[in-house]
Amino acid sequence: MSEIISQSALRALAAEWIAGGKSVAGPARVKPDLVLYRVLRSGDDLLLEGFQRPSNSIKDFLFPKAEKLYGYKIRGNSIELIENDSPEPAQVIIAARPCDAAALPILDHVFNWDFHDEFYNRRRAATTVVTLACSAHDENCFCTSVGLDPGSDRGSDAILFALGNGQYEVRCATEKGHALFDGKTEKSERTGKAITGPEKRFDAQAVRAFVTTHFEDPFWNEHALTCIGCGTCAFSCPACHCFDIVDAGSAAGNARVKTWDSCQFSTFTAHASGHNPRPAQPARQRQRILHKFAIYPEKFGEILCTGCGNCTRNCPVGLGVLSVATEINHG
Amino acid sequence: MDNVYKPDLMEVTRIRQETPDVKSVSLRFLDSGRARDFSFRVGQFGIFSAFGYGESTFNICSSSNWKDHIEFCFRKVGRVTEALWKIEEKDVVGFRGPYGNGYPMEAWKGRDLIFLGGGIAMPPIRCAVWYALENRADYGEITVVYGARTVADLVFLDELDEWSKSERVRIIRCVDPGGETPDWKGEIGFVPHVFERAQVAAKDPVVLVIGPPIMIKNTLPILDKMGVKPASVYTSIENRMKCGIGKCGRCNVGPIYVCKEGPVLTMEQLQGLPADY
Repeated sequence: MSEIISQSALRALAAEWIAGGKSVAGPARVKPDLVLYRVLRSGDDLLLEGFQRPSNSIKDFLFPKAEKLYGYKIRGNSIELIENDSPEPAQVIIAARPCDAAALPILDHVFNWDFHDEFYNRRRAATTVVTLACSAHDENCFCTSVGLDPGSDRGSDAILFALGNGQYEVRCATEKGHALFDGKTEKSERTGKAITGPEKRFDAQAVRAFVTTHFEDPFWNEHALTCIGCGTCAFSCPACHCFDIVDAGSAAGNARVKTWDSCQFSTFTAHASGHNPRPAQPARQRQRILHKFAIYPEKFGEILCTGCGNCTRNCPVGLGVLSVATEINHG
Repeated sequence: MDNVYKPDLMEVTRIRQETPDVKSVSLRFLDSGRARDFSFRVGQFGIFSAFGYGESTFNICSSSNWKDHIEFCFRKVGRVTEALWKIEEKDVVGFRGPYGNGYPMEAWKGRDLIFLGGGIAMPPIRCAVWYALENRADYGEITVVYGARTVADLVFLDELDEWSKSERVRIIRCVDPGGETPDWKGEIGFVPHVFERAQVAAKDPVVLVIGPPIMIKNTLPILDKMGVKPASVYTSIENRMKCGIGKCGRCNVGPIYVCKEGPVLTMEQLQGLPADY
């Protein structure tokens, strides 16, 4: 026996959540050739078919591009800090890809070792992730190379499998998932399954072995020659989490703000003295691979990559994890 | 909500201009409970901020035995330090910390201590020197070699004089060739060379060396010749940081998050890490 829901019922349910005050985010076509996860205004905004995956990731809703840490008022030489303690509104992310959902338990580690980042934790607690198992993969997908697959429910509260004819099987994995779907589905004999994953494209252990032993290596120069340091790889990655802390001026109401940053930017590690341990793009490309395949696994036991392929798909010069890792493997 | 990014508010109680572009600042917590409960280890750092401009990372350069205030020292080089340069007594700045590991002062007990500092590296050495002098019986011979480009760039000069009056303490001041003034009484030369010339007779010492990479690089062969093991040579590395609490991903050297597992590392540890600092 399985639980199923029709596409129209799913859209109606999303509309119900929105009407109930939840923030609902999911894939939406924002331009003819651009699909992004974004906050949906209606159930009809939700895009369920006809694209590989959104160009951004669901981290946008847990670790936003810019997040106010606190405000402050300056009066003469007195300072008043202003914190926002209002509860985080409940949100649902619908039709997330498995490679997006899986990034959340991976990110939980870094935001909670020793010091707890409650900005992330509060959003995480207020978020229910409803994943849609993949029904296609493209040449940039490589989840199977990092231990995932197109039907993985890791990080998902519920997962949907397309059955065809506008029907989806619903499998709830957590209480949060049940809370959304219990009583909203119908019994059925049909069960769905995800597609077979992309063929394994590289060996992650071999990549780790290479990066930890080839810190100084001509490979990085050769590989990174084309990198323009735009940071698109990091910004569209479900797992990249580097950030900056900056003061937004009086126009923004005087606040200290956490903003996305990227190890690909030239000033990322630049010292005030002018010294920069990573003076050019090769060292920065190396860092991205090192962090994902060696540093994070050593610290937290997990690869900081879910194989979504966004870094390669969105890279203006064709780099990204997939191309580097396959070059390492087959080079 | 427990906000790990929220700073303590601290009042500026004293400002000293150390050089044309370096100031040291004393701060006290505005919150009396925080002032009473605060403690740190010398060698730890703080994230200090000028509201409206941003945060910067500096060593807490006062001794951990001083209970009524903390100090930091900075060179005017960028946006935040330009703003800090303009603060006055009674102004309020932000402080997050203490962060990082600090010096293992307990483990150093009973050992001779050699401090080698170049330029703006004096503040992170100064806190350890004061701590050792305040616990004088715990440590052996203390040698400090401190140099800067010119006489005008030396910081905490009056304290060097004070230290030199203590027992079993040898203070050697130096400036780079050409940086001396007609009445300069210290040595002329780079820190590693001056240290080598001084022929410090230390038995199994702990060495704390902080300064520009070239200074550290040229000091290591001298220490090696003296038979000092890399595990006894400490430094404090200065990778750029933002959060200070192991999240923002900026300060890694290989698997080491400098903000949490550093900034104090031994040369033995550094030798096992990629040169990403």
